[in-house]
Amino acid sequence: MNKETPKEYLRFNTIERIQHVILFTTFLLLSFTGWALKYPEQTVEHSSWLVRIWGGAKNAGIVHRIAGITMLLDFAWHVLYLGYMLSTGKMKLRKDTTIIPLPKDVMDAVKNILYFLGLGKEKPQFGRFSYIHKFDYWAVFWGMGIIGLSGLFLAFPVQSSYFFPLWSVNWIWEVISIMHSDEALLAIVFILFWHFYNEHLKWNKFPMSMTWITGKISIEDMKHEHPLEYKLEFGDKGDNK
Amino acid sequence: MKRVFLVALLWIPLLCFTYSASAETFTCLACHSAMKGKIRTEGGVLIDVNVDGEKYSQSVHGGFDCIICHKQFGSNPHEPARIANVPQGIASLASKLTHKAKVDPVALAACSECHGDIYKSWQQSIHGSNVIQKKQSDGASCLDCHGLPHYITPKNTAASHINKKNIVKTCGECHENEGLARKYGFSTHILGRYYESFHGKKYVIGHPNAPTCVDCHKYHDIKKWEDPMSPVAWDNRTETCGRCHKGATKKFVTAITHKPYGKDNPVPYYFEKGLIVLLLSVFAFIVGHVILEAISEIRDKVLRKGKEGHHE
Repeated sequence: MNKETPKEYLRFNTIERIQHVILFTTFLLLSFTGWALKYPEQTVEHSSWLVRIWGGAKNAGIVHRIAGITMLLDFAWHVLYLGYMLSTGKMKLRKDTTIIPLPKDVMDAVKNILYFLGLGKEKPQFGRFSYIHKFDYWAVFWGMGIIGLSGLFLAFPVQSSYFFPLWSVNWIWEVISIMHSDEALLAIVFILFWHFYNEHLKWNKFPMSMTWITGKISIEDMKHEHPLEYKLEFGDKGDNK
Repeated sequence: MKRVFLVALLWIPLLCFTYSASAETFTCLACHSAMKGKIRTEGGVLIDVNVDGEKYSQSVHGGFDCIICHKQFGSNPHEPARIANVPQGIASLASKLTHKAKVDPVALAACSECHGDIYKSWQQSIHGSNVIQKKQSDGASCLDCHGLPHYITPKNTAASHINKKNIVKTCGECHENEGLARKYGFSTHILGRYYESFHGKKYVIGHPNAPTCVDCHKYHDIKKWEDPMSPVAWDNRTETCGRCHKGATKKFVTAITHKPYGKDNPVPYYFEKGLIVLLLSVFAFIVGHVILEAISEIRDKVLRKGKEGHHE
């Protein structure tokens, strides 16, 4: 309780920041190489600029595969890293710092939306990760499983067909391609609205929060945006309630 | 001097040939490139009498005399056409094509003079046997796929109906035709399903390796898919698919069927419906949340002058 309160707080370490950079680079590459296949124009002659910037559909396909594999490796690294951090005790599971969704997050969401509507007087108090962050994080997790897995099946169709049970072969490919393309659309729209608004367009973040590069958040912002984590780290000191 | 003379001598037959070859054509085209519209023959058939001379000369057959194919017509074009002018093989073939080529069956049969092997395999194909044996005038023959006979261009040119960029559309001329689909019992969904498949999508965005109809089904000797001779018959699919997908097994080759999903194939159908519900609900939530939050932030900044309803 008598720790000195620094000016800044390290929110994400170097490894986490590198994982994020790889994630969004590959995400952008995948979106820009894959979009043309989602809505191919119905004319053969004019392949859209999304294909031309890669020097043709074949190159776009190669870039898409390389980016996809890189993203999956990044994901695997992240999961293994979290496993290591938790098992060695370097990262602890605590109610106010965990990314795991809790009942409080539902209450926070309701409270927040009531506040937006002018029906509530107070905004909810967040820990290290608000329900907005948690939604953002687990959406990527979900997409990684659904799009990553279906993408692997589509990239290696012959090999994947060995694993499919005989009773599924008449519809499994339809399901896989629908899964890959519809979920990809979901991911792109999600990032455009949710992530872009919350991390880029908000009045106090625009054009972006620098935390992704420095890993740091100012104590003022921390008090404001993550009050519960602040209390946990620095106690009530400085909080003039 | 002697050398110059020899060289000049070499040119003579070449000049004679080009001159004689085109002289007759020029005579025909003198009228037929200028004539517009259609006339009705004694047999009651409407004939388009116009031939675009310039386009004809640029076609693969542009150097030919008209009577190379239109064999019934002698040197005097306005003499009545005589089947006696026609070699017997062509004449007997033409007699099987009268229902198909109402204008000049001899000319359609004449393709076989140079393209004999192709003609033979076409006759054994489902398209050919439909014309020759079943006497159907709407069955596909040379011109239905290759376009108007006078303007056929090499298949690597953009104008060619069988160019990779046009071939799927060309097949669609019949295979998306509702009347023909009803008559012959094929599905009009085939092209649509092809365009939805990864093969079709890659084709549309211009992937050089994307297969079109003819890569799997073949062309001149095309067979119904259930025919054991068809490359897409169940027993031949591992080989056909295996040309691109090395190691294709029986289990793998079921991937492409062109069957629309719906009542016959309910799993993808309801799966897609479910996904759409999921997508729309997520979109509604995130867009609604973002808009509400943005409005409330503006409200706080403007109306409440920075006094946020926080925990202070």
